[in-house]
Amino acid sequence: MFDAVAREQPNSGDPATQGSERHERDNMSILDDLQALENKAKDLIAAADDAAKLDEARIALLGKKGEITALMHMMGKVAPEERPVLGKRANELRRMAEALLKRRGDGLRREAMEALIGAEAVDVTLPGARPTLGHQHLITQISQEIEDVFCAIGYTVEAGPEVETSWYNFTALNAPMDHPSRSARDTFYVVDNAPGSVTHPEEHAAGESDVLLRTQTSGTQIHIMEHQKPPIYAIVPGAVYRPDTADACHLPQFHQVEGLVVDEGITFGDLKGTLDYFAKAMFGPERKTRYRPHFFPFTEPSCELDVSCHVCGGKGCSFCKHSGWIEILGCGMVDPNVLVNCGVDPERYTGFAFGIGVERVAALRYDLPDLRALMTGDMRFLAQF
Amino acid sequence: MKVSLNWLRDLIDVPETPEELSREYIRTGTEVEAIDTVGEAFEHVVTAQVVSKEPHPDSDHMWVTMVDVGRFNLGEDGEPAPLQIVCGAQNFEAGDHIVTALVGAKLPGGIKIKKSKLRGVVSWGMNCSARELGLSGDHSGIMILPEDAPVGVPFAEYHNTADAVLDCEITPNRPDCLSMMGMAVETSAIFDRDTHIELPQIKREDTSVSVDDLVDVRVDDPALCSRYTARVVRGVKIGPSPAWLAERVAAAGMRPINNVVDVTNYVMMLTGQPLHTFDLGKLTERDGRRHVVVRAAHEGEQIVTLDNVERTLSANMCVITDDGNRPVCLAGVMGSLDSEIDETTHDVLLEAACFDSSHISRTSRNLSLISEASIRYERQVDRTRCPEVSRIAAALFEECCGATVVSGAIDVYPVPVEPATIVLRPARACAIAGADIPAAFMATRLTRLGCTVAEQADGALAVTVPTNRPDLEREIDLIEEVVRLWGMDSVPATIPAAKNHIGGLTHDQRLVREVGQILRACGLNETLSYAFAAPDDLTRCGMVDEGRGVPVKIMRPLVAEQSEMRRTLLPGLLTSVAYNEAHGSENVHLYEIGTLFHGRENASLPKERQSVAGVLSGAWGNITWNQKYAPLRFFDGKGIVEELLAQLRVEKVRFRPAEGAGFGFLQPGRGAEVLSGGTVLGWIGEIHPEVRDAFDIALPVVAFELDLDKLLTCAHDQGAYAGFSTYPSVDVDLAIVVDESVTYETLVQRLTSAGGKLLRDVRLFDVYRDEERVGADKKSMAFALTYRADDHTLTSDEVERVHGKLVTKVCRAVGGEVRS
Repeated sequence: MFDAVAREQPNSGDPATQGSERHERDNMSILDDLQALENKAKDLIAAADDAAKLDEARIALLGKKGEITALMHMMGKVAPEERPVLGKRANELRRMAEALLKRRGDGLRREAMEALIGAEAVDVTLPGARPTLGHQHLITQISQEIEDVFCAIGYTVEAGPEVETSWYNFTALNAPMDHPSRSARDTFYVVDNAPGSVTHPEEHAAGESDVLLRTQTSGTQIHIMEHQKPPIYAIVPGAVYRPDTADACHLPQFHQVEGLVVDEGITFGDLKGTLDYFAKAMFGPERKTRYRPHFFPFTEPSCELDVSCHVCGGKGCSFCKHSGWIEILGCGMVDPNVLVNCGVDPERYTGFAFGIGVERVAALRYDLPDLRALMTGDMRFLAQF
Repeated sequence: MKVSLNWLRDLIDVPETPEELSREYIRTGTEVEAIDTVGEAFEHVVTAQVVSKEPHPDSDHMWVTMVDVGRFNLGEDGEPAPLQIVCGAQNFEAGDHIVTALVGAKLPGGIKIKKSKLRGVVSWGMNCSARELGLSGDHSGIMILPEDAPVGVPFAEYHNTADAVLDCEITPNRPDCLSMMGMAVETSAIFDRDTHIELPQIKREDTSVSVDDLVDVRVDDPALCSRYTARVVRGVKIGPSPAWLAERVAAAGMRPINNVVDVTNYVMMLTGQPLHTFDLGKLTERDGRRHVVVRAAHEGEQIVTLDNVERTLSANMCVITDDGNRPVCLAGVMGSLDSEIDETTHDVLLEAACFDSSHISRTSRNLSLISEASIRYERQVDRTRCPEVSRIAAALFEECCGATVVSGAIDVYPVPVEPATIVLRPARACAIAGADIPAAFMATRLTRLGCTVAEQADGALAVTVPTNRPDLEREIDLIEEVVRLWGMDSVPATIPAAKNHIGGLTHDQRLVREVGQILRACGLNETLSYAFAAPDDLTRCGMVDEGRGVPVKIMRPLVAEQSEMRRTLLPGLLTSVAYNEAHGSENVHLYEIGTLFHGRENASLPKERQSVAGVLSGAWGNITWNQKYAPLRFFDGKGIVEELLAQLRVEKVRFRPAEGAGFGFLQPGRGAEVLSGGTVLGWIGEIHPEVRDAFDIALPVVAFELDLDKLLTCAHDQGAYAGFSTYPSVDVDLAIVVDESVTYETLVQRLTSAGGKLLRDVRLFDVYRDEERVGADKKSMAFALTYRADDHTLTSDEVERVHGKLVTKVCRAVGGEVRS
C-alpha cells in the first residue's frame, strides 16, 4: 500500500532537473496537488475502519515517506516568494490530516471499547468464584472472645494439665474428702501407673485414685498461685471432663474459662465490677446483672451471676423460665483456705475467682438445641459459625 | 426442700406474698426453683351434698347419686340439677356432705374428670376419697364432711388448703435449711423479725415402766455414731393421719402413708433430724429386753432394705443391729424390710441419732441409695438436738397414734459437742465486701441466725454459733452471712486497679492463634473431637505405640470406645470424615488443635502435648458453572503444610518419604515426614485404603498431624526488611531428562548449588513422561530459572556462562541430559 501511494506521487522526479521557467505552472500544479492530496487524505482516513488501516493511512500520509511529508520536504525547493502561500497551505493540509487521524483514531478506539464492553457484559446475578475459607469452631470463638475481653483489662491467659491429681482438682480447692463430686459417678478417675508418687498422695475409695481427668479448670488456680506471686490477674480456658452421658444438654467433655485475681485489697465489689464489665462485653451493654449468694467449696462468699434475659428483656418468658434472668457463671471471693494451701497470706491478699461454661454461653447465644452437634465435626454445623 | 407457706406461717409471721418471699430468698442465697400453688389442684372440686342414692340398674356395687353442688351446677351440656354422678363407694348415705370433682377437674394424682358413661348411666363428675384428693392415704370410701359443711363452695376455700409451696434448692453447706424450723430462722434473719415456734409436748408419760427396762443401746464405734437416743411408745394404733398432719407431709412433697410414718416424716421436715422407727416386737428379746447395737457392717453382710432390694454391705458402712447380729437398719440411710412398722405393729422403738456425715455419704454413693435421711446426714445433723426431737416425735405419737409414751429416754452420747465462738472483725468484713456495713447490722442479723454476739473491747464481735450451722467455722464464714444478708446487689461495683501487673497474650499464645488463622485461610474448618480414645484406635489406624507412650486409662469409662485418652488426633478426624460422608457432605476440610496424652509406665501423670492435625477429602467444592474442583489428594494437603510452615517462617523444611512400620497408616508412596532441619515435626500423607475401610470412608483422605509445641519452637519472627534488586532478571527454561529415581528435592538442591549467587528462583513447571520421546523409567523435569544480580544488569554472556556451567554440573551429578 505504502508503495502504491508512493508511486502515485506526481512529483517524484528529481528536483534538480526542474527549471525556473516552469515555476508558474509548477506552483499551480502544486496547489492542485495539495487539493488532490487533501481529498485523498480525507478519503483514506474515512475509509480506515480499524486501527491497523488507520495506522497505514497515517504512514501513507505523514510517515517518513508519506505523501504529505514529501510535500513538506518540497517546500524548500519552491521559489522563496511563493513559499508563504504554499507553505501555509501545506501546513494546513498536514494539520488537517493530523486532526482527522486523531479524530478517526479516537472514534475507532471508542467503537472498539464499546464492542468489547458489549461482548463482555455478563449476568451479574451469576454466582461469583468464591475462595474457600475455613471457619473457627464455635467453642474456640467464644473462648477467644472471653480471652480478649479479659486481656483488655490486663489479664494473662494461663493453662493447666487436663490429667490432674485429686489434690489440685479437689483438696487444695477446699473440697472435703467426702464431697459428692469426688465420687466416681461425678469424676473420671484414671489408672495410676505409679501409686503414691504424686506430690500430695491421698487415700481413695474403690474406683478412685490420685489421678483424674479434671472436672473443672479451678485446679489451675492452685498451679498459678504456686508459680506466680500476686498480683495475679489470670484466666484459664480449657477442656474439662465429667461422666455425663452425652445428650442434648450434657457432654462428657466440655469447656470452661476460669478466672483468678489475687492482689492486695481485692473486694467483693471488685468481683462485681469485673464481671459486670464481662457480662456487658459478652452479652450486650443493655444487659443487667444479678448476684445470687451460692455455695462453692473454694470461694467464700460465693455467688452465681445472672444476666437479664435477652429474649424478654427481663420481663419473664419461657426461655428464662419466667424469672427474667439467665444464669451464666459461678464466682466468689477466694476462700482463705485455698490461699493458705498455696502459701499466700490471706490477711495480706484477697482475691476472687469465677468459672464460665463456654458451651453454656454458646447455647445461650445461638439457641443450640443439641450440644452434641459441637463434637461431630459436621461440615454443615461448622460452616454456620 | 419444699417450704409450705402455710406451715412457715405457723412458725413466723410472713405477710409477704409467695413471690415477694421467693425474691428475698433468692437475694439471700436460697434458690427458689418453683412456686407451686396447691389450691390450684382443687380447681373444679367443690363441697356438695348427696340428695339421693339409688342402686345402679346394671351393677350390684355401684350407686347412682344425685348431688347438690349449689351454684356450680351450670346446667350446661345437658347437666341435670342436682348433678347425676355414678359412685362406687359404700360409706355414705343420702344427706351426707361430700367432696365432688366436677367435669374439668384435674386431681392431684393426675386423674382428669370427664363426662362419662358407667355401665350405661351418665356420670357428670366424681365423689372423691381423701386419697384421690391427695390429702391422706385413706381410700376406704369417699370423704364425708361434717354436717355443717356448706354446700357448693370451692373445696380449696372450704378446706383452707390454699397454700403456696416454694421449691427451694438448699446448698450443701446449709443442713439447717433442710427443715422448716431452719427456714423459719433463716426467714427471721432475712426480715429481722421474731419467730414463734411452738413444739408439741408429751402430755403423760407412762411411769410404770422405764425405757431402760425394755431396751438397751450400745454404740461400738463413736466415729460412726456420735449420738444415739431411743424412746419407746406403746399401743400405737396404725391408721390414717389426721388431716392437718397429712396436709403438712403432702406439702413437704412426701406421700402420706400412715400416722406413724407421717409423724416421723413430719418431725424430720420440721426439725431436720431424721428419725427411724422399729417395730419393737420384731426385735429379739433377751433377758427381757431388746438390744440395739450400732456397729460397722461386716464385709459382705446383707440387708433387704425397705424398698425391697437386697444390698451387700462393706466394712465402712454403719448398721443398727438386733443384738449385734442381724442388721435391722442401714444407719442413716434406710431401714430393713423385716423390722418395718406395719398394720400389726403395737410397740415402737424410736431412734433419733447422729451418724457420721462422711460415712453416710460414702454409703449412699456406693449403694446408689439416696433417702431424705441420708441427704440430711450427709450434710451433718445437729447432735445436740436429738433428745428434743425425740420428745417432739413421742408427743405426736401420743397425739396422733393413740400411743402411750414410756417414761425416759436412752441417750448414748459418746462425742459431745460445744458451740464454737468466732471473732468477727467488722472492719475486715467491710474490707472484703467493699461496702460499709454497720457493725450493728452484723450483730443483729447474726443474732437472728441463732448466734450469740458479744462486742469485745477492740470493737470485734465474739460470735458463738449455733451447733446446727457446721458451715460457720471461721471469720470468713460469718462474713459471708453478713454479705448475703446485707445484699450482694447493694455492694458498689468497682474495677481493681491491677497495679504492677501487665497482661495480654504471650508470644506463643498468639502463634497458636496464628496457626488456626493460617489453616482457616487455607480453607480448613476447625473442629473439636473428644479427647477420649478407644483401646483399638491405634490398631484401627494402623499406627504403632512406639513414640506415643502408654495409654492413659479411665477406670470407669462411660462407654468402651471412650476408655482411654487419645495419643493422636487422627482417629477423631477420620471419624468426622466418615460422619460427613455418611451425612451427604463429601467435601470435608477439617483441622483440630488439641491435647494428646502420652502415659508413662512409672509415672502417675502423662505427658500432655499440643497437636495440630488436618484432613481433606472430596474436593474444595462441588462443580459450579465456572469452577471445576479437582479431587483433593496428596499435594493439596502438602501445600497447606508448606504454606503453614512458610507463614510461620519455619526454616530448612524438608519432606522425607514416610517409610517403615511406623507409617502403616499412610498409603505407601503418598506419605512424608515433615522436618525442619533435624527436627521431625510430624507427617503428611494419604490415608491407607485399608484404614479408610476400617473407618468406612469411601473417598481418598489426605491428612497431616504436627507437634504444635515443636512447631512453635521452630517458628521464627519476621526479620529485618530485605531490599529488592532494581536490576532486571533473565529467565531461562531448562528441561532435564533424569531417571525416575531422581527426586525433585535432589534436582533442586543440585540446581541451587550449581547456580550460585545469581540464580534467584527455581520453579518446576512441568513433569513429562513418554517412553518413546523421553525413555522408559525416565522423566523430563522442566524448570524456569531466574538469574539476577543485585548490582548490575546481567549481560547475555554472563548468563550463558553461568547457565552453561549449571547445566554441565547438574547433568553430571544426576546422570541427566538436557531435553531440547
